[in-house]
Amino acid sequence: MANDIWALAELTDGRLAGISLQLASKAAELARDLGGQSAAVALGTNTQAAAGELGSCGVSAVYASEGAVYDQYLGQPQSEALAGLIQKHQPRLVLIGGTNYGRDIAGRLAARLGAGLVYHVGEVAVEGGQVVMSVPAFGGAQAVKEAFTGAGTGLLLARPNAFATQRVGGTPAITQEPAPAAPGTGARLTGTAGAEGAAEAGHLGKAPNGDDIWLPAATQSKLEEAQIVVSGGRGLGGPQGFAQIEALASALGASVGASRAAVDAGWIPYAHQVGQTGKTVKPTVYIACGISGAVQHKAGMGTAGLIIAVNKDKDAPIFSFCDLGVVADLNVVIPRLTELVKQRKAGA
Amino acid sequence: MKIVVCMKETLDTTKEKRFGPDMRLERPKENAIINPFDEYTIEEGLRQQEKHGGEVIVLCMGPATATDTIRRALAMGADRGVLVTDPALGGSDAVGTARVLAAALTRIGYDLAIFGSAAADAYGGVVPAAVAELLGAPLLSWAGKLDVDGGTARIQRQADIGTQTAEAPLPALVSVVKAINDPRYPSMKGIMQSKKKPVDTMTLADLGLAAGQAGADGAGERVLGATAVSMQRKGEMYLGNEGAAQRILDFLIEQKVL
Ligand SMILES: Cc1cc2nc3c(=O)[nH]c(=O)nc-3n(C[C@H](O)[C@H](O)[C@H](O)COP(=O)(O)OP(=O)(O)OC[C@H]3O[C@@H](n4cnc5c(N)ncnc54)[C@H](O)[C@@H]3O)c2cc1C
Ligand SMILES: Nc1ncnc2c1ncn2[C@@H]1O[C@H](COP(=O)(O)O)[C@@H](O)[C@H]1O
Repeated sequence: MANDIWALAELTDGRLAGISLQLASKAAELARDLGGQSAAVALGTNTQAAAGELGSCGVSAVYASEGAVYDQYLGQPQSEALAGLIQKHQPRLVLIGGTNYGRDIAGRLAARLGAGLVYHVGEVAVEGGQVVMSVPAFGGAQAVKEAFTGAGTGLLLARPNAFATQRVGGTPAITQEPAPAAPGTGARLTGTAGAEGAAEAGHLGKAPNGDDIWLPAATQSKLEEAQIVVSGGRGLGGPQGFAQIEALASALGASVGASRAAVDAGWIPYAHQVGQTGKTVKPTVYIACGISGAVQHKAGMGTAGLIIAVNKDKDAPIFSFCDLGVVADLNVVIPRLTELVKQRKAGA
Repeated sequence: MKIVVCMKETLDTTKEKRFGPDMRLERPKENAIINPFDEYTIEEGLRQQEKHGGEVIVLCMGPATATDTIRRALAMGADRGVLVTDPALGGSDAVGTARVLAAALTRIGYDLAIFGSAAADAYGGVVPAAVAELLGAPLLSWAGKLDVDGGTARIQRQADIGTQTAEAPLPALVSVVKAINDPRYPSMKGIMQSKKKPVDTMTLADLGLAAGQAGADGAGERVLGATAVSMQRKGEMYLGNEGAAQRILDFLIEQKVL
């Protein structure tokens, strides 16, 4: 078995997800440390452009498979193509994103190959010739180190933002592979959900004057990959509170998160929930507004680079795990901060 | 319609968790709960049964004591339970678990097998896809809405890039996200009835599986150890509305975020 390290790119409808570049960067670094080759696998449409992007992160090869079948069926063609490539080239490790896309493929692939699969990985390194993965447990209070047992290819599901994108530059050797046929009984994509689904994803509720409040497209996507997250909780007092959060988020170029209490109250869709039963985020900065800091919320954001909390209760648990704790009324602080951020950006 | 809901037993998230000497999570029986994500799994099974009739079977792989947790699902309204339990199953990984669930689903038979989005104790979210692969079945994943019509299941799914629609012929597997429903609380009557509902147990041998196909020996990964992580943060406090926004801005500038 070779010491090669691969990264699976996430291509949907010809668009490359940001996590692909994080995985490619890490694959290049690990291959260097192990004395092997790095490669990325891109399955879908527009693979040529994707290969260029992946190569700029240092992978020396890209296995591309161009085919609409990948955009039409869930999980099956992807795992079939990837399994074929793995059996042929036997890499030591394949890095896959711990996203909905990645998990659907990794689960199938692990079952098909009988491969070891370590998920929720926050760090990976080569120690004494062995690939050692670190998985946060108990809300990040413990780091569990894991390794693969067998000699076969290991699969690693990485937490979004676990690895940094590094544009080291490079031109990869591209190999085109044929795409598999459509599965006989497959889960077939039939479209985007249209107005109804889009409304569910982006509608924040009603303002006091009756107007609908919408999230702008930029802040709707990719909560997990955001570098700055501004989150709101029950302390917002209602859906209109999210208009303030949204304004600050767009001034900062951030994504909008929420506590479960805010989601359960119907103030914001579930897709924004951060925490144990929501999304796990690891931004550079997490700004929690009107969130008490329950363990279940912490489980989703406890490993953020910096945590800033605004809460009017000085005894709120969140103040025991933040870098800057502001004991104040968010209705005063958030709009003012939004103004200050806008002024600074306009001046810069 | 024959509906199987796959439910894992996990630990109460509000209770403190510990590793045992073997580096496995200690699972005291009194802290056992229905995996919070699987409350949606069970609820969705019941709602589909209300629309289409048939039977709802709760399938769980876990310790012998998990029958109590299965009964809580039966109290919500499911008809019967199947517990796969065997001393050799301890330490199973996702693939081992999937082999067991796939073999059990084959024995039980199903039109629709429903899974949760993840087990709240490990955040894997890979078992549904692994089971689908072993069964050669379609998986409609991350469903926020499910409709079954004739021989076809249709979902709205939460993809990473937004909401999509997808469909598959039955028999099919579906994994559901929290947004799909509001799980019911068991009624007093439901709790009483659950005590008389059947819960069958199966072992690895009953499923025709060898010990090495699941359990710790079959696992493809091993734990080397665990270390405490310093969760130390700067912990600076600022009190009062006055100047608070300016302090946050300055902090963001000091930290080179802005
Ligand atoms: C199995 C399980 C899973 C769970 N999963 C999650 C999860 O994934 N994510 C999650 O978030 N929670 C989760 N929870 C719920 C969690 O336990 C808490 O109930 C929830 O996080 C509380 O949300 P909150 O902080 O917004 O609300 P609260 O706890 O009510 O806190 C609101 C805060 O706002 C402050 N506040 C009020 N007004 C203002 C103001 N004007 N200015 C400033 N501050 C103000 C208050 O002081 C208070 O601290 C889960 C619970 C269970 C049992
Ligand atoms: N031991 C188990 N018994 C029954 N169902 C399980 C088990 N483990 C996982 N599942 C199912 O698979 C889903 C995803 O689990 P996981 O991949 O372990 O995060 C859960 O929500 C359950 O529906």
